[in-house]
Amino acid sequence: MSWRAELLAVWAVVVRNALMASRNVFFFFELLFWPIVGVLSIGLMTRFLHLTPEQASFVLIGTIALSVVNVCQLEVAYAVLLDVWSKSLKHQFLAPIGIRHLTLGSWLVGMARGGALFLLLAALGWWAFDFRVLAPGWLPVAVFVLGCFLNAWIVGVFVCALITLFGNRAEAFAWASVNLVLVLAGLYYPVSVLPEPVATVAAAIPLTYFLDAYRAHFGFAPEFRAPIAAGLALSAVYAALAHWCFFAALQRARRTGLLLKMSE
Amino acid sequence: MLAIDARDVTKTFKSGWFRPTRTAALRGVSLTVPRGAIVGLLGPNGAGKTTLLSILATLLTPDSGSVTVLGHDVARDAARLRRRLNMASGRPSFLWSLRVGEIIGFYGRLYGLSGRQLRRRVDELIELCELSAHRRTPYSELSTGLKQRVALAKSLVNDPELLFLDEPTLGLDPDVSVRVRRHIADLRRERGMTIVLTTHYMREADELCDEIAFIKAGAILARGTPGELKRQIRLGDVIALRLDPPAVPWLAETPGVLRCAEVAGWIECTVDDAEKRLPDLLRALHAEGVVVRNIRVREPELEEVFVELAR
Repeated sequence: MSWRAELLAVWAVVVRNALMASRNVFFFFELLFWPIVGVLSIGLMTRFLHLTPEQASFVLIGTIALSVVNVCQLEVAYAVLLDVWSKSLKHQFLAPIGIRHLTLGSWLVGMARGGALFLLLAALGWWAFDFRVLAPGWLPVAVFVLGCFLNAWIVGVFVCALITLFGNRAEAFAWASVNLVLVLAGLYYPVSVLPEPVATVAAAIPLTYFLDAYRAHFGFAPEFRAPIAAGLALSAVYAALAHWCFFAALQRARRTGLLLKMSE
Repeated sequence: MLAIDARDVTKTFKSGWFRPTRTAALRGVSLTVPRGAIVGLLGPNGAGKTTLLSILATLLTPDSGSVTVLGHDVARDAARLRRRLNMASGRPSFLWSLRVGEIIGFYGRLYGLSGRQLRRRVDELIELCELSAHRRTPYSELSTGLKQRVALAKSLVNDPELLFLDEPTLGLDPDVSVRVRRHIADLRRERGMTIVLTTHYMREADELCDEIAFIKAGAILARGTPGELKRQIRLGDVIALRLDPPAVPWLAETPGVLRCAEVAGWIECTVDDAEKRLPDLLRALHAEGVVVRNIRVREPELEEVFVELAR
C-alpha cells in the first residue's frame, strides 16, 4: 500500500468518526456533561475535606486524567463499536482497510476530543478551584497529555480486540476492565498506598508513570525513577501487544464467522 | 480466464462453548467462474450460498480447499484482492447518522479516492443509482429500497472487477427490482464486470445469469445455463391446450405424456419431448373430434427446476 493510500484510509476513519461524533447527543454527554460533573464533584469534595492545595491538585490531576483517557479510549473503541452497532462490520472489513488505519484514525479524533476536554477541564479547575493545571509549563503538560492519549489508545485497541473476539457480549466487560485499569494506576492516591501485589500490577500500567511524573511538578516526590521513559517504553510494548491481539481476534472472527454474525 | 477458481472448499461452523455443535455449511464445493460472466447461486435457506459468497469475498476463511479469486489466493493475498472486488447485500447496514453522500465518500477514501476524483465518483454513483434527491438524507431515514441502492452505489465505488451481490432485490418493489436487474446487466455489458449473485427469485436468475449453480446442504447439486439445467433435470416440456370440450380424460394416457393438469382453463400436459409428441397429440385430438382452440408450448420454469432439486 502506498503512503498516499495509507494516509487516505486513516483520513477516511477520521472523517467518519468526526461526523458521527458531531451528530449524536450521546457524544455530547461523553465529551462535556460527565467530565464536568466529575471535576465539579471531586473539586467540591476536596473543599469539604479541607485538603491542602497540593492534595487537591493531586486528586484533580487524577480526575482530569480519568476523563481524558475515558473520552479518548471510547473514541478508539468506536473504530469497531460503531460498525458493530450499525451492523456494517462486514462492509468495513471487505474494504482494503487494516487495523492500523482504524485505530490510528479513531485515535486522532480521540486526541482532538481529549485535548479539547483537557483544556476545558483545566479552565474549569482554575475558575472553580484555583487549580492551575497548566502551571508546570507546556512541555510537562504535553508529555502528561500524551501519556493519557497513549493509555487511551492501548485500552481502546484492547476493547476492540475483545469485542471482535466475543461480540457484543464483551462490551460490558470491556468497559469494566477499563475502569479497573484506571483505578489501579493511582488516579486519586499514590500507588504506594496500594497493597504490595496490587502495587506491582500498578507498576505495569503506563499511566501510573505519567501521573507520577506530572505530580512531581506539583511538589510530590516521584515514586519511580525516569517515569516518562518507563511510561513510554511500557506504552510501546502494550500498543504492539494490543494491535497483535486485535489482529488475531479479527483473524479468528473471519474463521469462526463472527464477523458475519455481527453484521446480521 | 477464470475470475474464480474454488476447489473442494469446506466450512464448518461451531457453536456453543461447553458442548459445541458443528454445522457443515460447505462440503467440498468446487466452482469456477469465467471473467465477465454473471453466475447465480441458488438454493434453499441455509444451503450455504452466503457462506460460499463470503469465502470468495475474503470475509470468511475456508477450513480446507483452495480458492483463487482474480489470480489471488483468498487466504494469503486477501489484502490485495480486496482492492479489486466489492459486495452489496440485500440487507444492507451502514452507519445510521451518515448521509448518503458521506457513506459513499467514506468507502471511496478507503479505496484510495480523494479530492476532485472522489467528489466526481460520488456524484456519478449518486446519479447512477438515482439517489440525487437523498444525497443529504441520513441513512437511518431511508426506505428499504433506497438503502439497497446505497449498498449498490457503495459496491461500485472502486469500479470492481468482481462484484458479489447477496440477494440484491430482496424486499424491493417490482419496478425497482426491474431497474436494479437492468443495471446489473448493464454493468456486465458496459464494464465487463464479473458478477456472482445469490437470489431466491428464479426469474431474476433466469433473466440475468449465464450460469447457475444449485446449492443444497453445502454441496453444488447441479450447474449450467438455465436451459441446460432444465434439460438436465428432465422435467419435460409443457404443452398447454385450450380445448372444446375442455375436459379430455384420456389425454394423460397418451404415449409420451407424463402428466396432465388443468390450470385456469388450460390443460397442461407435461411431455418428454414437445417436438416429438405435439403432432401425435393433435392427431389424436382431431380423430376424437376435440377442437383445439389455442396451444402454448414452453420449457419448464426455473422455479420448477428449483423445487425439484430442493426436494
